[in-house]
Amino acid sequence: MALVLSNLKDTFFKLGPLILLIFICISEFHTQFYYWGIFTFNFQFIIIYYWVLRDPDILGYGFVFICGFINDVVLSLPLGTSALSYLFVSLVAAYVRTATVRNSLFTDWFTFLVAIIIGNFIYFFLLNKFAGADIKYTTLFYNSLFTFILYPFFWGLFEIYKKITFSRRND
Amino acid sequence: MSTSRDDFGIVIRSALLQRGAKQKFSLFVLILLSLFVFVLDNSNLKPVKVLRSLINDGIYRISAVSSSPIRFSGASKDFFVKHIFTYEENKRLRKELEDLKSKNFQSSFLEAQNNELQNVLDLEKNSPYSVVNAKVILDKNSPFLNSVIINKGSNAGIKLGMPVLNEGYLAGRIVEVNFVSSRILLLNDLNSRIPVIVSPSGTQAILSGVGKREPSLEYLPDNFMLGEKESTVFTSGKDGVLFPGIAIGKVVLNDNKKFVKLFADPDQINFVSVALEQQEDSGAR
Repeated sequence: MALVLSNLKDTFFKLGPLILLIFICISEFHTQFYYWGIFTFNFQFIIIYYWVLRDPDILGYGFVFICGFINDVVLSLPLGTSALSYLFVSLVAAYVRTATVRNSLFTDWFTFLVAIIIGNFIYFFLLNKFAGADIKYTTLFYNSLFTFILYPFFWGLFEIYKKITFSRRND
Repeated sequence: MSTSRDDFGIVIRSALLQRGAKQKFSLFVLILLSLFVFVLDNSNLKPVKVLRSLINDGIYRISAVSSSPIRFSGASKDFFVKHIFTYEENKRLRKELEDLKSKNFQSSFLEAQNNELQNVLDLEKNSPYSVVNAKVILDKNSPFLNSVIINKGSNAGIKLGMPVLNEGYLAGRIVEVNFVSSRILLLNDLNSRIPVIVSPSGTQAILSGVGKREPSLEYLPDNFMLGEKESTVFTSGKDGVLFPGIAIGKVVLNDNKKFVKLFADPDQINFVSVALEQQEDSGAR
């Protein structure tokens, strides 16, 4: 019984990032705060980039696609917009994972900038060209900037989370 | 140089096509699938629209349920804040009560006069629109979209473009209709453009969302000046979609630009009425 309970706990901890990503996409959880009129960030990008880069077994590409699909429905965007944007962020993360031997916060952080630029460019391009939506360049810029700035903070949190989860698994 | 290009190609190919031990799909397949879904959704085929409508309804319901912890935490915070400020509020309410008592006589007279005038005109005393009341089930903003989801759709007679009222004031219009849910584009959304008339001058303008709380007034004549009396903005009905004469808000000046302080606060919308049609003889109201 204790073993079953322990396995259940391990599975729950392992699914944590995926549950968080789905919850953010489907619920009213706001990552678009308008304090000072400029502060918004894309939490989905941070979660996807970190976990695809660090532990792709925890966050599969299929789930990234589904989360993008859900996000499009909830925000009434053309289906496939967020999915494409998230998958390209995953592509950059997969590239960095394959190309580099040893990851550190700084390599992660600066390559994340490339991921943000590509992800937001696809998002902007599809919305602007095909959905005819008006997009403010400044909002997009601030969104990208704060997503980039906040990455080390969440990187630290996820590292702690990963240590706790792995130490549980190795016990 | 060519070696580094080869390396890049190998790494990209590996990232696109490689599947991990627990990955069922490669990135390449999923990117192609996303593109296919995107093209299909933009094709405007009727079966695709029906399918999207069903998906929307399903996900909105799940979304409303999964958002309940967030709503509960928000409500709990409001509850505690209200209790902390009860004493101050009590003092304020006492003062307001005194003021209202004195105004009561005046309003009784006005009410009587109003009833008399309405009887003379033989107008209906209820709302000038036949409406469907609905509850907001989802309110998720993005940097690019200010919209809310309501729990009524085509099953209640709602159609695209219908005006949505909150406490009698215009809050937005319907931009997406599913079977049991609809999406309202709020007036402060970047994509919202509504033809309006500014009272009392009767000037025509376009109310345009700028992504902030207060939308701006555009295409005003060069000689437009704000009068001493407060200027109120109403729908003009020039687009042939919205009914004319729905109150929207008051004109405010900010950095020499004209904005409209909305009567229906876009952040406080919980229940709305979708105006299905204007009742006859209501134009005089």
